[in-house]
Amino acid sequence: MTGMNAFIHDLIAYSPQILTGLKNTMLLMGIISVTGFFGGIAVFYLTLSSRKTCRIITEKYISFFIGTPLLVHLFLMYYGLPELGVRISPLTVSVIGFTLNVSAYNARYLMTAFHGLDRMELEAARAEGFTPLEIFCLIILPQTLRRAVPSLTNQVIQNLKDTSVAFLIQYNDFFSQIQEVASTNFEFFKAYVTAGLVYLALVSVIVVLSRRLEKRIALPGF
Amino acid sequence: MALIEVNNLVKQFDDKIVLKEVNLALDEGQVKVIMGPSGCGKSTLLRCLNLLDPPTSGRIVFKGEEITRPGVDVRKLRQSIGFVFQNFALYRHLTVLDNVTLALKKIKKMTARKATEKASYELERVGMFEHRDKYPAQLSGGQKQRAAIVRALAMDPAVLFLDEPTSSLDPQMSREVVSVINKLYLDNVTMFCVTHDAFLAKYISDSVVFMDEGVILAEEIAERLFYDHPDPRIRQFYLGVIDMK
Repeated sequence: MTGMNAFIHDLIAYSPQILTGLKNTMLLMGIISVTGFFGGIAVFYLTLSSRKTCRIITEKYISFFIGTPLLVHLFLMYYGLPELGVRISPLTVSVIGFTLNVSAYNARYLMTAFHGLDRMELEAARAEGFTPLEIFCLIILPQTLRRAVPSLTNQVIQNLKDTSVAFLIQYNDFFSQIQEVASTNFEFFKAYVTAGLVYLALVSVIVVLSRRLEKRIALPGF
Repeated sequence: MALIEVNNLVKQFDDKIVLKEVNLALDEGQVKVIMGPSGCGKSTLLRCLNLLDPPTSGRIVFKGEEITRPGVDVRKLRQSIGFVFQNFALYRHLTVLDNVTLALKKIKKMTARKATEKASYELERVGMFEHRDKYPAQLSGGQKQRAAIVRALAMDPAVLFLDEPTSSLDPQMSREVVSVINKLYLDNVTMFCVTHDAFLAKYISDSVVFMDEGVILAEEIAERLFYDHPDPRIRQFYLGVIDMK
């Protein structure tokens, strides 16, 4: 068998595991994109708090998670916590670690979008008698989310790519299965090119969906 | 009894005193215009009256209730005071109709149908009904300000505050807005209006309050203040304002 044929043969032989890995990758990406999205909104809300302490703590949280590698958080929870008697499954560690990280990034994108908002609209809403929470939900969020769509969808793409890090804490994702194939036949180059192409295809789908979303929510003046 | 009564109102930002013991009253159905040089405290006075900027000291009584006391329901108070801003401050992500109905639905708890009926009626009054489905970015300055006035009016406020409603408009659009405000004046809508526009002041006011450096220097009917006031500072101010017009 030629090298290519052998590689394809191994791919087919490993296809059930690869598909399971792909499913796990999609599952992790889906969960962290949703939790990170809502987490980002919650953190963003806290950055607008009238309480200075709350704003400082939130800012520190964002700086910490943006300023330290995701892998450190994952390793800390997966390999560090058992020393304290706490054992968590790879999926749970990944979801918690990624959510904390992605929420910080999403909050930062929303804060950037918020700076483009006309503050007089918020004054007008206060003058109409809306509460701070109503102003956030009815005025701030619809506008900042619209402005932040390109950054937020880029983050979803980043989430997909970053899930490959989870195999380092024993999470059986797509990349870990490709590693498995590569270590069986030593065809590392072909294995990683295959992995790259699969990630590229998935990213392309996300890009198409995000462009559609951008068009759908576009408004005059935004 | 006056609708709004202000006693010894002081507003201080850090070490700068912007309002110095201001005393003022506004009766129901009355329109008062507040004029004066930039930075004299006109807009701050309006913002203090609906507690957007809390006063440093002094007393404000609105509809017989002291609103400067602790524990006052600010949300309820603001529902009774319509506020129109200089730069329109329309919600950019909402159509004209939604701008008007938002508070009706969320604050006044009207059904969507009733809120739309009410908004449509008010939009019709100022000739904005045909623009109801447009977004603010699709409107001219005059149309935006008319929409902002409707948004404030739709809540049936006891008083309407207008903070320099024509100052960011060109002369033609400014006339458009003046004619709408004049119509409200004729309909006996109670208003407090801050402006530099002598034309607007003349056509909508029962009296004009002149402020300088946080102090009310005079309160007169427009003509007497514009053309025949003994205070040289006031004469000097109106000479400039009316010349420009």
